[in-house]
Amino acid sequence: MTEADSPTWRVPPRWVLLVAVLSIVAAEVGGGSMARFKVELTRWARDGMLARPAVHGLVGVRDVDERILDEALFKFDAGLRLFHMHAEGMGLVIIATSMVAATVIPSGAARRTIIALLTTGGAGYPVGYLVWSALIPSFGLERAKTIAEWLVWVPFGSATIVALWWLAGLLAWAMISRRRARPAA
Amino acid sequence: MSLVPTILTALVVTATTIAPASAHHVGAYVPKDNAVTTNFKQVKFSVQASKFDVALRLFEAGPLRAEMRAHAATLPAGLEDGTRAALTAGDGPEVERRLMIFFAALVRDLALEADHQLARPDSTAETRVDTGRKFLEAIWRYYNLVDFAVATRDNKASVAVRLAFDEAETYVKPATGGAAPADPAGLRKPLQRIAQVLSTLIDASSTTPRRNS
Repeated sequence: MTEADSPTWRVPPRWVLLVAVLSIVAAEVGGGSMARFKVELTRWARDGMLARPAVHGLVGVRDVDERILDEALFKFDAGLRLFHMHAEGMGLVIIATSMVAATVIPSGAARRTIIALLTTGGAGYPVGYLVWSALIPSFGLERAKTIAEWLVWVPFGSATIVALWWLAGLLAWAMISRRRARPAA
Repeated sequence: MSLVPTILTALVVTATTIAPASAHHVGAYVPKDNAVTTNFKQVKFSVQASKFDVALRLFEAGPLRAEMRAHAATLPAGLEDGTRAALTAGDGPEVERRLMIFFAALVRDLALEADHQLARPDSTAETRVDTGRKFLEAIWRYYNLVDFAVATRDNKASVAVRLAFDEAETYVKPATGGAAPADPAGLRKPLQRIAQVLSTLIDASSTTPRRNS
């Protein structure tokens, strides 16, 4: 094993680390706020839904509407929880994957692009859950989901997926090239 | 050995790629009991365990009784007092009969209200299907609690309600195999049948203090 075969890990750019840390901080603040303001948040969402009965398909019969409101409130809460979980996890994913990219990609342009995609995608994607939750009272479950999907999940999720496959492809190419370049024993 | 870090890196990258691809999972909702069905189950299980004092306390303070009062206008006269008297006397079958009447009345009222809302000329077919589905869910949530009690007293009524419910469900289920969706207007007939069968059951049960089987 030579020094060239075993590259030392390189720290990604500072702005990437800052975004990742901010994502984790946002996740923690979000999680804490969810617990601290649970009643207020639920009341706000419920009032918002009751103010728009047609949006949520409320029929004016308590026995029926109760279940509709319960499901919407469950999803509202799930959105907040998923934001907390994803922002926390994606913060770590940004750090790990951008460190891999900074270490193993020799081309400056490709490295910068992949790191930018990983960082924006990773930090933006969890915000979709927050957007979804916030839109549920005004737009209903399905419409809010569609908006969050096209506004946040699809663009930011795609950026992350493209960057990760690109990174995986470059790694595979590097492995193949290295094997070919090595003289047969 | 020189490939180990690269392989590990590739594994990490592949693993993290899978996560966003299978994302947009937004939680699975499982409908819960509401306050009335929860209280019903508490009272029922206490009666089955012959803990009538517990059942009476749960009934007195619970939402079941409050709901009986709220629906007093559409319920047989004296249903609440009779239920309390049966609990005080430790008469399990009588408690069951009265609770069956109560839930049958709730289901009948829901079926009538659903029929009324589906008859609105301004609603679209999609709205009718959506409204019908929601009412059927509520109807089944209540009827399911007392179906056994209904069947032991009037098996024909139980079968009739189940058949009508099954028929109603065909109008709110999405069409499969490229078939045209059923006309939601057809949903009204089984709902009317549910209301009619349960009205008859309530009338017959309200005048019969004991099971006849």
